[in-house]
Amino acid sequence: MKHLFILSLLLSWMPAALGQTRINGTILSFHDKIPLKKVSIKIKNNKTTLFSDDKGNFSLMYTGKPINLEISYIGYESQEVTVISPSTTPLIILLKEDIFNLKEVMISTGYQQLPKERATGSFTLIDQNTLREQVSTNILDRLEGVANSVVADRNTSAANGRLMIRGLSTIQGPKEPLIILDNFPYEGNTENINPNDVASITILKDAAAASIWGARAGNGVIVITTKKGKLNQKLSVDFNINQTLTDKPDLFYIPQISSSDFIDVETMLYNKGYYKNDINSPLQPALSPVVELLIKQAAASGLEKEKIGDQLNALKRIDVRDEFNKYFYRQSLNQQYAVNLNGGSEIMSWLVSSGYDRNISNLNAPYDRLSLRVENMIKPTKQLELNIGITYTNSKSENGRPEYGSITGHKNSLAPYTRFTDDNGNPLALPKLIKPAHALNIGKGKLLDWQYYPLEDYKHNTTSNIQNSLLANIGLRYKLPFGISTDIRYQYQRQQTTDNTVNDQESYRSRNLVNTYTQISKTGEAIYKIPMGGILEYRNQLMQAHNLRGQLNVDKSWNDHSVSAIAGAEFRETNQGSNGLTLYGYNHDLLSSGLVDYTQEYPSIINGSKQFIPPGPPVRYGLTRFVSLFSNAAYTYKNKYTFSISGRRDASNLFGLNTNDKWNPLWSSGLSWEISKEPFYKSSFLSYLKLRLTYGFSGNVDPSKSAVTTILYQALSPYTLTPYARFNKFANPELKWETNRMINLGIDFSFAANRVNGSIEYYQKKGGNLFGTELLDYTSGIGSTIMKNVASTKGHGVDLELNSLNINQDFKWRTNLNISFNQDRITEYYLSNREASVFLTKGVSGLKGKPTYAVFAYKWAGLDPQTGEPRGYLNNEISKNYNLLVGSGVKIEDLKYYGSAIPTLFGSIGNTFSYKNLSLTFRMMYKFGYYFRRNSINYSSLYSQGMGHADFSKRWKQPGDENTTNVPAYMYPFSGQMQTLYSFGESLVERGDHIRLHYVQLSYQLNKENFRRLPMKTIHLSFNINNMGILWSANKEKIDPDFIGEKSIPNPRSYSFGLRTNF
Amino acid sequence: MVSRKIYLALFCGLVFGSAGCQKFLDAKPEKTLTIPSTLADFQALLDNYPIFAPDPHEGEHSDDDHYLNNDDWESLYSDYERKIYTWEKEYQFDSEANSWSNTYRTIYFCNTVLEGLQKINRNPKNSAEWDHLKGQALYYRGKRLLQASFIWTPAYDKGTANSDLGLPLRFSADFNIKSKRASVEETYLQLLNDLKSSIQLLPINPVSKVRPSKPACYALLSRAYLSMRDYVNAGLYADSCLQLNHELIDYNDLDGTEINPLKRFNTEVIAENEIGEGQALNFTRGRVSPDLYNMYDQDDLRKEMLFSNNPDGTHGFRARLVGTTGLFGGTATNEVYLNRAESYARAGKTTLALNDLNKLLLKRWRKNKFNPISGLDAKEVLDLILKERRKELLFRGIRWVDLKRLNKEGRNIVLTRNLNNKIYRLEPNDLRYTLLIPQDVITRSGMQQNPR
Repeated sequence: MKHLFILSLLLSWMPAALGQTRINGTILSFHDKIPLKKVSIKIKNNKTTLFSDDKGNFSLMYTGKPINLEISYIGYESQEVTVISPSTTPLIILLKEDIFNLKEVMISTGYQQLPKERATGSFTLIDQNTLREQVSTNILDRLEGVANSVVADRNTSAANGRLMIRGLSTIQGPKEPLIILDNFPYEGNTENINPNDVASITILKDAAAASIWGARAGNGVIVITTKKGKLNQKLSVDFNINQTLTDKPDLFYIPQISSSDFIDVETMLYNKGYYKNDINSPLQPALSPVVELLIKQAAASGLEKEKIGDQLNALKRIDVRDEFNKYFYRQSLNQQYAVNLNGGSEIMSWLVSSGYDRNISNLNAPYDRLSLRVENMIKPTKQLELNIGITYTNSKSENGRPEYGSITGHKNSLAPYTRFTDDNGNPLALPKLIKPAHALNIGKGKLLDWQYYPLEDYKHNTTSNIQNSLLANIGLRYKLPFGISTDIRYQYQRQQTTDNTVNDQESYRSRNLVNTYTQISKTGEAIYKIPMGGILEYRNQLMQAHNLRGQLNVDKSWNDHSVSAIAGAEFRETNQGSNGLTLYGYNHDLLSSGLVDYTQEYPSIINGSKQFIPPGPPVRYGLTRFVSLFSNAAYTYKNKYTFSISGRRDASNLFGLNTNDKWNPLWSSGLSWEISKEPFYKSSFLSYLKLRLTYGFSGNVDPSKSAVTTILYQALSPYTLTPYARFNKFANPELKWETNRMINLGIDFSFAANRVNGSIEYYQKKGGNLFGTELLDYTSGIGSTIMKNVASTKGHGVDLELNSLNINQDFKWRTNLNISFNQDRITEYYLSNREASVFLTKGVSGLKGKPTYAVFAYKWAGLDPQTGEPRGYLNNEISKNYNLLVGSGVKIEDLKYYGSAIPTLFGSIGNTFSYKNLSLTFRMMYKFGYYFRRNSINYSSLYSQGMGHADFSKRWKQPGDENTTNVPAYMYPFSGQMQTLYSFGESLVERGDHIRLHYVQLSYQLNKENFRRLPMKTIHLSFNINNMGILWSANKEKIDPDFIGEKSIPNPRSYSFGLRTNF
Repeated sequence: MVSRKIYLALFCGLVFGSAGCQKFLDAKPEKTLTIPSTLADFQALLDNYPIFAPDPHEGEHSDDDHYLNNDDWESLYSDYERKIYTWEKEYQFDSEANSWSNTYRTIYFCNTVLEGLQKINRNPKNSAEWDHLKGQALYYRGKRLLQASFIWTPAYDKGTANSDLGLPLRFSADFNIKSKRASVEETYLQLLNDLKSSIQLLPINPVSKVRPSKPACYALLSRAYLSMRDYVNAGLYADSCLQLNHELIDYNDLDGTEINPLKRFNTEVIAENEIGEGQALNFTRGRVSPDLYNMYDQDDLRKEMLFSNNPDGTHGFRARLVGTTGLFGGTATNEVYLNRAESYARAGKTTLALNDLNKLLLKRWRKNKFNPISGLDAKEVLDLILKERRKELLFRGIRWVDLKRLNKEGRNIVLTRNLNNKIYRLEPNDLRYTLLIPQDVITRSGMQQNPR
């Protein structure tokens, strides 16, 4: 805390009277000298508190003794002031904006900026400083750890996670929140946004906040606000460097079967004759190295036999993960540079920024991104304001080395004992398709080498992805009298993606294709139907989005009333086209290529089956259009009561909807009441208290759903040379948009002299007309499932956000706490089918009273003590009748229910300790109240695809083992139903609860004030460690519940150094 | 409502003019997408060969043209293939990716076309195309019902066909209509009707043999009547077919050194369909039954052209005419000749019957080695024709239905499997000759399962 001693300017003018004197004062903000109202002024001498008035003025009586005042205000650093003499001129107290604390913030909805104070809806603002606590290429990656009520679901969706705001609002519809960049939806790849251009991110959580976005707001809205220049500001230059070093991923997290176990399995299968089919095949398919050795061993005798046995034993000691670590993985290095210049005169402001990222991934894959942004605001007259902005981003990524899982030998798998080099370091070939001797034989020596060398092959494949993204917008605002203004905005977005894949002549892919299509004539000559050379595949995608918006704004205050309203209309069009070509016989040095005949089928040299030469990709073009009308109005009385209402209608060009039905009205309404402004409100402890209540609807559109039967044209049929088509969507005339109703009750507060502030919110969600999957009797001919508006869900939750300044001395300790509780359950599901398999495999449940994503499992009766076979329960009796245990007769009621598959209680805690200019931040993240199904050994895929799991070593081996293990015995053949019972049985369900240390940041700031000789205003140095790992986890298997996929690996730890300077 | 329209009209009027707004929203969301409504759209659906190609393969996997040794059977990936091989009594099918689903998917395509055609005026300008489309759709619906009834309904028996459980018949693309099983009689009535109605609408020479034609339709009708043991009609339709297409390949012209001497779309092929080989009938697993292989004379070129030699002395089947490793499931003239010959033989027309048989065998035997057969009585001729039928129409999905109908006549053919020293037997007219409808279909539709 700062002590400021204010001496009266008129010390020498000391009045003789020592009686009581009134002292007047004004409290202003340090930077812009704005009067601050309702600032708490605590007189320490007599422990009374008074507040500044609307103009920031206050007055107190001076009794002759020095008065100690403690002045505190939300968003500003507290100050202690000692008045040691009375004065007749007003005392000016300047409060410094506290950059770490919540300010009186402006939030952005994409349609308007409004002070959070006047908002009725639920908004979370993540400011720049919080965003800066992490380093990443994609700004959205930073949200999960810091944003209230945002969680990334990695278990029921893609591996890199899907952001969810306040849980799920849909069952089968699109689940991604809407991303807004400044004013309009961002249709492109969010990786193209330079994170250093971002000023703040606002999350619109409830209906009143989001419903202005109508039919796309059902999953919540994330508004990214970029930095802007300011009028009347000197040139300011920011420069920023980040260097991030990331560890190699831990391949040993992957539960791969041990080489020794795997060789034992292959030996058993060999003895059982499993490989006979391949060994005897006239096609002579490639065999695994172990099988080849076993064949040799069977034919050999004596010493030779022993030698082969030694070779097998040597292979048992190899682990392919060591090979990957040695040859392919490295530490990754990400470099990020950004510069930002801005300034402004009286009539214009400007900003120019640029960012450059260069990442080298763990697999040595380079990624470059350059972004350039220019923003200009011109205010030629008091009425007119013109905004122009252009952002250009160019990114280029290339492939690196192959990752674990991407190298496959024969049967599309990779044996755990695979080596990439021989003892002398020469690249080894991996058996892939057919035996080399056979290749020589069928090709009469005319074929290219048909072997696959993993260590070399990636050098002959280059894939590059280039994205050019342009975002241009222009906005015109004209102020009319009576607080009315009009806005016209237009934005054009264009993202061009070019993918170039070159497999050169040396690559396995090219050699394989050329060989397969080679024909050997009777006289032994080779005819190459695919010319010798490489393959070039070029794909081009162009996305363009146009947005046009006209908007009328009213902002007017008179007496105790103030009105802020907007109304407008917008048109949006997004079109996306793609095309490309494939060239054979391609030579990258000469850019030459050969000709092929696509109209004829050619017999494969391997098995004679005929096939066409793979043609290039089809041309595609898609278009979505929206027309929307929207309006939002808020009326505030006496700065205390606010009433808001908003409405929106969207129409789109989705198939099969009549125009009348296309218009889908969505609305919301809200109230807020700032109780602490009431005259009757006396609490000086709880200095700020505001109540909010909102109710409203938002929607969710799935453009892929259709109300009519549509067909999709494909290529030309090679037989009839006419186009052929397949069904794309089946008529679904009653199709409606999903709606999401939300009630939100919120309290914003601050107490303990504004040292603690935050909000607590309770909400109820009700999803209606939700799409659900109905199982169909496939005699109907359209497959076994159909989507219908069949379900509704109910969810409720609590979000708590708390910021506190726990210690406020030279040493400061701040805490930011986010706790979110979210529960949803299905309230209606008009589907008849209750087949258990659907609830197990599809992930989404449709069971009334249960969460949308729920974990169920077959009841498990342990392993058979005699045989080690899995057992389940049939009519409450232990059974091994697998037909019935996992058949279509098993109903959902027969399964054991665990709970939600997505976290129901989650959040983060950030603690910042600072001493003077040094500060240290820790951020922990936690997820509780959910379950997941872990992987284990799958004997069917072990035998057929060579995919093993480390659990193999824990299998039942002899009677008695059933007491310690649930892994079934090793049987051959293994029935698929037995596998299903185990894979989806109770023994593999785990609790997902865990706490992780997300990141740590140590930073140090040098200011001109502290270091006068500093050539710049500030230098900010930081050191970050990201992905520190799990602190506590409920499962005993050492599984990170965020990384449960078969080959997924937790994000490795990364270390970043950052330097930021301003001058 | 009214105010909404006014609001919309006003707004659109301001910006575009109301018509403009309407137009703006009427744009197609995807160019390659369309609502099927034109004749070209329907032809495009019918030309989706991957949909129309597969015939049910369960019959071929269940019959006695092939056998699996124990190792090969155990090494099959799917329980389903293992169960089909041993005629498992319960739960044969385990997923929706089965022939039942393929069958009815094709029927959905056909029904969409047939319903769509009702909405297009047939006029002099489009009549040829219109008729052709209707013919193709009827042909395929009939064909699918026929092939599926071989698998899922008992052999046709005049006496019990009215009460035997047939297939569900679907005539509409409306997937909400509940599936109900018709009787075998109704099933056959429908499929015969579909096929017969299509004859006049189909061309004699199609653009490609993946499209139906008049001869293809006659050949199928002959096959259908044969399966009903209506031998008179089987002969009549066979004759109609051969009037239009009677080509046979001379095996002396084939090159036995090629991987597959018999070519795709060869002159004998009338219309192509495919039977999935799965794992059991791939190149190396499903071996030719030795008793079948030993039936061929040394001078019978089929012994060379149809089979491959395995290193262990067993034989595989290589005459896979569909260009892939799949098996041929369509119609070809050799089948039709044998149908007609059998019909003649059963009617006592032995000379005519032997004429057909001799004509076929002459093209199968080594040049100058074949002595035309003569001087046999009617029963001997019939037995000979059935023997030659077995030798000629193998691995084509025909054997299964032949077994069903011949056992109906007391031919008493018992199938056996030997695995792990366990003998599996399928007695004549066993209920298991009618396969189970996939259990999930039964669960979801409430239809009656085939008796066991």
